[in-house]
Amino acid sequence: MQFFFEVLIAGLLSGVMYSLVALGYVLIYKASGVFNFAQGAMVFFAALTAVGLHDLGLSLWLSVPLTMVAMIVLGLATERIVLRPLVAQAEITLFMATIGLTFFIEGLAQAIWGASVRGLELGIADVPLEWLLDVVGMAISQFDLIAAGIAAALVAALAIFFSKTKIGRALRAVADDHQAALSVGIPLHHIWGVVWAVAGFVALVAGLLWGARNGVQFALTFVALKALPVLILGGFTSVPGAIVGGLIIGASEKLAEVYVPSLLQRLFDTQMNLGGIEGWFPYVLALLFLLVRPEGLFGERIIRRI
Amino acid sequence: MSVANALLEEPRLDTFPRLLLHHARVRGERPATREKDLGIWQTWTWSQQAEEVRALACGLAELGFKRGDHLAIIGDNRPRLYWAMAAAQALGGVPVPLYQDAVAAEMAFVLQDAEIRFAIVEDQEQVDKMLEVMGQCPALSHILYDDTRGLRHYIQTELQSLDEVMEMGRIHDRERPEFLDGEIARGEPGDISVMLYTSGTTGRPKGVCQTHFSFITAAKSGCEFDHLGPQDSILSYLPMAWVGDHLFSYAQATVAGFTINCPESGDTVITDLREIGPTYYFAPPRVFENLLTTVMIRMEDASAVKRGMFEYFMAVARRCGAEILDGKPGVSAIDRLLYGLGNILIYGPLRNVLGMSRIRVAYTAGAAIGPDLFRFYRSIGINLKQLYGSTETCAAVCLQPDGEIKFDSVGKPAPGVEVKIAGNGEVLVRGQMLLREYYKLPADTAEAIDSEGYFHTGDAGFFDEDGHLKIIDRAKDVGKTESGALFAPNYIENKLKFFSFIKEAVAFGQGRPMVCAFINIDMGAVGNWAERRNISYSGYTDLAQKPEVYELIRGCIEKANAELAEDPVLSGSQVHRFLILHKELDPDDDELTRTRKVRRGFVAEKYAVLIAALYSGKASQFIETQVKFEDGRSGMVSAELLIMDARIFPAQKKAA
Amino acid sequence: MDKRIGEVILSFQNISLSFGGVKALTSIGFDVREHEIRAIIGPNGAGKSSMLNVINGVYHPQEGEIVFRGKTRRNMNTYESAKSGIARTFQNIALFKGMSVLDNIMTGRNLKMRSNFLLDAIYWGPAQREEIAHRKKVEEVIDFLEIQHIRKTPVGRLPYGLQKRVELGRALAAEPSILLLDEPMAGMNVEEKQDMCRFILDVNDQLGTTIVLIEHDMGVVMDISDRVVVLDYGKKIADGTPDEVRANQDVIDAYLGVAH
Repeated sequence: MQFFFEVLIAGLLSGVMYSLVALGYVLIYKASGVFNFAQGAMVFFAALTAVGLHDLGLSLWLSVPLTMVAMIVLGLATERIVLRPLVAQAEITLFMATIGLTFFIEGLAQAIWGASVRGLELGIADVPLEWLLDVVGMAISQFDLIAAGIAAALVAALAIFFSKTKIGRALRAVADDHQAALSVGIPLHHIWGVVWAVAGFVALVAGLLWGARNGVQFALTFVALKALPVLILGGFTSVPGAIVGGLIIGASEKLAEVYVPSLLQRLFDTQMNLGGIEGWFPYVLALLFLLVRPEGLFGERIIRRI
Repeated sequence: MSVANALLEEPRLDTFPRLLLHHARVRGERPATREKDLGIWQTWTWSQQAEEVRALACGLAELGFKRGDHLAIIGDNRPRLYWAMAAAQALGGVPVPLYQDAVAAEMAFVLQDAEIRFAIVEDQEQVDKMLEVMGQCPALSHILYDDTRGLRHYIQTELQSLDEVMEMGRIHDRERPEFLDGEIARGEPGDISVMLYTSGTTGRPKGVCQTHFSFITAAKSGCEFDHLGPQDSILSYLPMAWVGDHLFSYAQATVAGFTINCPESGDTVITDLREIGPTYYFAPPRVFENLLTTVMIRMEDASAVKRGMFEYFMAVARRCGAEILDGKPGVSAIDRLLYGLGNILIYGPLRNVLGMSRIRVAYTAGAAIGPDLFRFYRSIGINLKQLYGSTETCAAVCLQPDGEIKFDSVGKPAPGVEVKIAGNGEVLVRGQMLLREYYKLPADTAEAIDSEGYFHTGDAGFFDEDGHLKIIDRAKDVGKTESGALFAPNYIENKLKFFSFIKEAVAFGQGRPMVCAFINIDMGAVGNWAERRNISYSGYTDLAQKPEVYELIRGCIEKANAELAEDPVLSGSQVHRFLILHKELDPDDDELTRTRKVRRGFVAEKYAVLIAALYSGKASQFIETQVKFEDGRSGMVSAELLIMDARIFPAQKKAA
Repeated sequence: MDKRIGEVILSFQNISLSFGGVKALTSIGFDVREHEIRAIIGPNGAGKSSMLNVINGVYHPQEGEIVFRGKTRRNMNTYESAKSGIARTFQNIALFKGMSVLDNIMTGRNLKMRSNFLLDAIYWGPAQREEIAHRKKVEEVIDFLEIQHIRKTPVGRLPYGLQKRVELGRALAAEPSILLLDEPMAGMNVEEKQDMCRFILDVNDQLGTTIVLIEHDMGVVMDISDRVVVLDYGKKIADGTPDEVRANQDVIDAYLGVAH
């Protein structure tokens, strides 16, 4: 049982980080109806820029804010240069544009910083918390815990931003109905700019945390793809959905990785090596979920009126 | 405080104005009244309230309001309208609250009957009504309004805003502070404190004159009975003209010194209830019914898991909830545990949604409450009790003591109240809370109060073996069918109305071969039910005539019939045939009283053709009816109404 | 009744608008006085909505001149028109369906909000104070329109009549000097229409707002308007008080001639 909880908690903690990535997608999808395929590339770009600046000799305290500026500029530029000219185009057109954007950003990042794998040291050791080990005998990573804490704080901050502030409300208004928003004098492009900038910021946090954990490398863009099943579970338009979805995916993939192989081995009575379940399990889960509840856990249900 | 007051060692707390000053003295900083305005709860403390009442009273005096004058008060529950009552009483006058949703013509009668010179009204809507009837009420010379909105361009000299009047009053009070204190000191407990008009279920409304003494006595005994004190609070949302609101929101609040809360508007009551979380609550059965209907509708929309949990724990609550609330022995440990779990998962959240998490005592009265409905609230831990009373008795004849709750009784006589049953089954009442008289109707007064001082309530009832009073029906309504079987129409109607799909029912059977009924469906519940089944409809009339809806209602009626069949006395009251009316019964069309009681005679006369069809065995009947819209205009509604038979169950013999 | 109708606040001369050769408006000229209720009526397809959209800056007329507060107005877009104090409602309600009534009306205050973006982002100091001040204004609008009971309800769940009222609320929250109402009574039942009339009159009377409304249904409009312009096939056929318009033969013909 002890072990089960260890796995569960580790899974939940990494799930928080999936949520973080998924959040970037949700923000942009909600506000502008664009599924931003380039979100993964943005995560990669952010992590690489931060670590690149750091390697140039800048302290973390300097390189991270600088990267933040770069991400906001990137976000604003994307809105201005790529998406604004495509306003009122079909969704698929916008989606294709973001795929193009993905390759551009990935290329740009590697052109500037090179393609080699770099380590990112945030100064938080990835070791089990000792007192927890002593008291309950469970090995919980200190890094995971802090990373999850940061992610949770960010999510909370965003939630307050959206529900309480004028911009947050304007953002929800834009997400709801562009035309109506214009007529009450909400500057649409301004809001889209804000959204892209926030998405860039979220990508930075995700990039730093994932980069510090797995190393800053091209594979970061695949982590971003894990956000897809999270979105299917949580719904593309729901911030709480992204969080809960992330937790479910994180916990279930870790548990599956540990328990499914032995289960299958016993079931089929083989000694075959059945590792790597973590890699595909979330997608299968998402697929099953699509059959049951296509709008996601928290996605907007269509309200029918008779 | 004036010297005169300070010299009084033991202030006489025997009139409402003196009680108000008392609270201002001893708990001046405690909240007396709250009102939600512009989204925020505003509070007035007892001392602020006393100041406001002073200003209002002095302003009225300045305008010429004198001892013995009557002050009409018309509007929703607003602090200033409650204060107006105290202000009138302080000057030795009599407040006369009117039902605010009455149309102008109905108001005219009361205004004439009570010889109203002064009226304090809430807003433009009420001002318009006053102006409309001014021709018929020559005495009416001052119309004071609370809310100035829309009234800026009115030029009638009779109109004045309360703000102005109170400002005048403040100046007056500063110059002659002894004036009002003197007026208050002149008040006697035997003075008339309020005149409440009966709703006029039969004939014209009558003005019931109650004294300070009777209302204070009634309020005191109620407060002692349920241990009400300054820490309690109540939501005041029922018509101020109703005796229940006057007792709870005015008399008891002023006696016990608790806080009244005025909702933002009539439509926000449920939200306001939730925000305030009163400890003391009062509502007629229909409000409890509506609340339950909303809960049930929401549960139907909830997920299967939630619904399953709800149903499971409601079954637990039905089994043992009421017993646990009463502290009765004999509940198993497992049931207690399950109930505790249910309390966390279902009942607690449910009480919260209903705005009843802090309720200590809740009362219902005004009409019989369905036993199942009553049990529902008690079983989820709300101390809902019944009381019995009327305008003539300050609404305080019988109360259910804590721990002695019966679903079908109205409790025991209140302290100091004598109750006896007359030979014909009518309930007779004697005590200090009786009315002094019907205004200007000595003959009626003499008829209602006999030589021994008993008031004839007009209700039929009996005492059970525990000394609890049970009310069956109005004495004059209880009758017999052609075959001699007992026919208690209200009893049958209440049984039917407990089904969430049935909003109103009118049963006929007096001197007839069988019992038949008109049904009004509940638009919310049936509409939801229909949508769920993809039955499309355009409005009430259309929905009411759907064959599926008839089947649904028939199911309800047959269930009620089965229960009636179990009681040997009432088995002859089973409903044989019914129809669903094409329009909702409406007070504006005189079909219901303002307290939403059916005017049986009027309905029978208006729809005579339908009754004939019910008893002639026809399968349908065409009807065309005039309806009044809120603006006073009228139109026609017509429909071909289906008539359906319901199954009748054989009467069961009582075992043993 | 004392009506303080003031000077001309908005006037149109020779407005012509066409879409790809199809004339929507032909040489329309009329004016709007401060504090009045000005109706534009006409049968379906008469050009009423086009006219409203010209005022609102959605369409830019090819010919003609618009004078607003004594100055000739250049072509402006919707956003600029909103900024200049013109608020509007739409024939097919354009509310934020997923947001609460309160939030919807708050968006109407958007242009009145001044606080700085960064402060707003952290909801601090002046931004918070400003939010509270705006909330108070919005509560006044809610009180005015008697929609307290649905304050927290998502707009999408409200019946049509109430949605129309909320939309009026959002426009009012901007404290406009000119309020444009696009068929405010369309699709309502008798009772809802009466409520809406009362609110329009109250807005005009209590807040002094100038109101330009277009309506298809003549009856209601005649009762509440000070002056009425009648359009038919993109041309002005009458202009005057309701009584004058009612007696005008061209108007009678237009309304009798066009079935709808």
